[in-house]
Amino acid sequence: MMENPWISGLVYSAVLVTVLMTAIAWISWFERKVAGRMQSRLGPTLVGPFGLFQPLADALKALQKEGIVPKDADPFLYRFAPPLTMALALGTAAVIPFTPHFLGSDLDIGVLYALALSGMMAFPIWIASWASNNKYALIGGMRMVAQGISYEIPMVLAALVPVVLSGSLSLGDIVEYQHVNGWFVLWPPGVGLGAFMLFFTTALAEGNRIPFDIPEAESELVAGPTTEYTAINWTIFAASEYGHSVITSALASTLFLGGWSGPWLPPLAWMVIKTSVLFVTITWIRWSLLRLRSDQLMALCWKYLVPFALMLLLVAGIWTHVRP
Amino acid sequence: MALIPTKAFVADPYLDLETYQADADLMTLSLGPQHPSTHGVFRVVLHMDGEMIVKAVPHAGYLHRGVEKLCEKLSYSNITPILDKNDYVSPMINEQAANMAFEKIMNIEVPLRAKYLRTVLAEMQRIASHLLWLGTFAIDLGGAMGGGTTVFMYCFRERELILDLFEALTGCRFHYNTHCVGGNRHDVPPGWSQGVHQALDLIEARLAEYLGMFDHPIFVDRTRGVGTLDAELALELGVTGPLLRASGVDHDLRRDAPYHVYDLVDLKVAVASGGDCLARYQVRVEEMKESARIVRLLIDNLPAGPLSSTKPLNMVTQFKATAGQVYVGVETPRGELGTWLIADGKKATSPYRMKIRPPSLHNAAVIPYVLPGHTLSDAIAILGSLDPIMGEVDR
Amino acid sequence: MGYLTATVQSLYTTLRESLRTPSTIEYPKVKRVRAPRIRASFALTRDAQGDENCIGCKKCEKVCPSEVIAVTMAKKPSPVTTKARGYATDFTLNLQACIVCELCVQVCPTDAIIMVKDQEKPGYEREDLTLTMDRLYRNGESKERWAWSNATILGEHQKPPEAPKPPAPAVAAAPAAAPAPVPAPEKKEGA
Repeated sequence: MMENPWISGLVYSAVLVTVLMTAIAWISWFERKVAGRMQSRLGPTLVGPFGLFQPLADALKALQKEGIVPKDADPFLYRFAPPLTMALALGTAAVIPFTPHFLGSDLDIGVLYALALSGMMAFPIWIASWASNNKYALIGGMRMVAQGISYEIPMVLAALVPVVLSGSLSLGDIVEYQHVNGWFVLWPPGVGLGAFMLFFTTALAEGNRIPFDIPEAESELVAGPTTEYTAINWTIFAASEYGHSVITSALASTLFLGGWSGPWLPPLAWMVIKTSVLFVTITWIRWSLLRLRSDQLMALCWKYLVPFALMLLLVAGIWTHVRP
Repeated sequence: MALIPTKAFVADPYLDLETYQADADLMTLSLGPQHPSTHGVFRVVLHMDGEMIVKAVPHAGYLHRGVEKLCEKLSYSNITPILDKNDYVSPMINEQAANMAFEKIMNIEVPLRAKYLRTVLAEMQRIASHLLWLGTFAIDLGGAMGGGTTVFMYCFRERELILDLFEALTGCRFHYNTHCVGGNRHDVPPGWSQGVHQALDLIEARLAEYLGMFDHPIFVDRTRGVGTLDAELALELGVTGPLLRASGVDHDLRRDAPYHVYDLVDLKVAVASGGDCLARYQVRVEEMKESARIVRLLIDNLPAGPLSSTKPLNMVTQFKATAGQVYVGVETPRGELGTWLIADGKKATSPYRMKIRPPSLHNAAVIPYVLPGHTLSDAIAILGSLDPIMGEVDR
Repeated sequence: MGYLTATVQSLYTTLRESLRTPSTIEYPKVKRVRAPRIRASFALTRDAQGDENCIGCKKCEKVCPSEVIAVTMAKKPSPVTTKARGYATDFTLNLQACIVCELCVQVCPTDAIIMVKDQEKPGYEREDLTLTMDRLYRNGESKERWAWSNATILGEHQKPPEAPKPPAPAVAAAPAAAPAPVPAPEKKEGA
């Protein structure tokens, strides 16, 4: 029965989505706990041991609340945006090889697919901000689009470095190549590390995390594109933002840190460890830095990151020819 | 990374929007009264050309409580607790300002011990107030969920130490009512001065740790050259306090018109040039350090003697003033808090008119001059750096 | 490069903080030790014989800046001494508008109204925050709840200069006391 691609695909995606959603819920707990400790607080403590069931309580609360649609909002687009965000955030997971065999589809153009979905995240947020009919949301949406489109470029260029080095657009092949030849973060010396840091930085920007969270900028734009959202609609936005961060971490570890490859431990454990370390770093940076201004953000992207990415790509290209 | 000047723009608070040639349609954004970073209920109507503000119109008055009128009704002894809520970030200094005016009009000399204690309390309150400012400023720059909150939590943790000491002294964390006409009401409890030393040590040590987070180039990028206020305009608008000192004007009432025992402490006034948000930050941080030094110096040398030169309050009508008028200015963490008191001999137990000159009102007057030409993000940073306390602006 | 080092420094600051003990106090489980002078709520006291201290003089009613105290007074024989004296027949304190300024405690001639350390429990109705005479006397029953201050203690704290001289020399005494701080600046130079 599992030979039927429809059924196997459904089963795989059901398992993956369930696991990911659960992970996202508890990752939010974890982030709150870490943030609490960094701020000399405790974080959630009351629901369950160490507040472990706090995500469940939050989800229940969000489900109970009334999902208000503002009077002058576009009701269809307003309700359509949150599920779309979630779909795009989780869709990337289909091509990420969690183990050599546990992957949804080893597309020949896996990198392209993942980056395309990640880049499209700007659209549902723009839809949400436009449909909300709110000025703060509008400004947030404009910033989101500008930022998403700008940071797309260095992100893709950074992701092209492993593609050039391994000669394949398939994520499975890239991991296999790293399994044999060593992680791309270690070689070519400097270039791999530079590309990894560039990818990580732009991933922060794509995921709207501090210091690049200008679309959401709470102190300026109240809540950015999600200003008018309430109840479960808002929760889906928040969850998909977490999901996006988690999956970008997974993508970064696949592209640069060798994915599931590693000694002693089983492949899945390595994948989870690498993803978690990257996600904790994202969280850690989030609670330690201030926010950039939008024009400074653009300047950083176009003046520094894009030339740097082009340079890396050039060096990587030369490398592949010089060292066969 | 250099700042990108959005567009050469000369701020004009009376800009005629009808004749302004906008790149696109102007957008009117009502910032407040319910907004995370307006520091109270305050509304600024921003007319924006793209993301650049071309005109900013502040609207105050949402917190008006009629305190000045209330003071005309209450007797001198009862006004003190009411004024705690004016500048709700530094109530101690508000009480002192009013009581100094009452003492001046009644010709009451305050005993030396009370003067020392008042100085200590004022400077501790200044540290607490600046800590709160630092935390909220970090939030303005970093977002309520972001890195800013971390510093906010740290600052509040440290401020808590000072509030604990005030609680040990007066019994209240906020509405102290510890000053009375002619002195102070509460003497220091045993072990208080050691507690002050410990708290200051802890505050200074921890502050040094997380002020390093403000050395980050992102912070410098966000604040340098943002909200520049030149000295001439500042003087014209009656700006006082850290704002004026950040614009390069060396003016501090504690040194220039000393009250309490400020003439004994050889105050070093922090002055910065630049007049931008960065300079305001630097001035306030320096002031915190200077205040800590003053507190340490005075708390060990509290002279013995009475705490009040008047009898303890017994009747509402205890304090009576003859006809006359006085003006007393004190330096709050935000600037010159003036109290202009007029007494007519007819109703001797309460003022005929009590005008309060809140520093925040005059500091907030720079908003229409400073915001235009900046983006929305900078507007929030500038509003935060002005440190307006709405309870005081609207009173 | 400055960005990298400064970011690492910020990350180090937060990491170091996260390894310290959090400063949160989990309120219902752990209660913070309040200062002995804490002002929270009010109580009326009785003397050693169990007679009410309050003589219904209405000084607190007059001094209250928010006008939350209402006292009615009547003369009647004391149940202890059987002599006629003033009593408060009704004493109401509305905590909703009270600003806890302690002035009523300060002016009380018989130390009748005092502060208690623990706050009133929140309730669902406005009446829950109105301290009637019954509740005030109940608050004053256990001395452990009493806060530090009463009129006598507060009076001692701000006792004016002791010399029973006329006010003019008292004013002169203050400038005379000015040389006293001379040691202070000396110490300051050392500091």
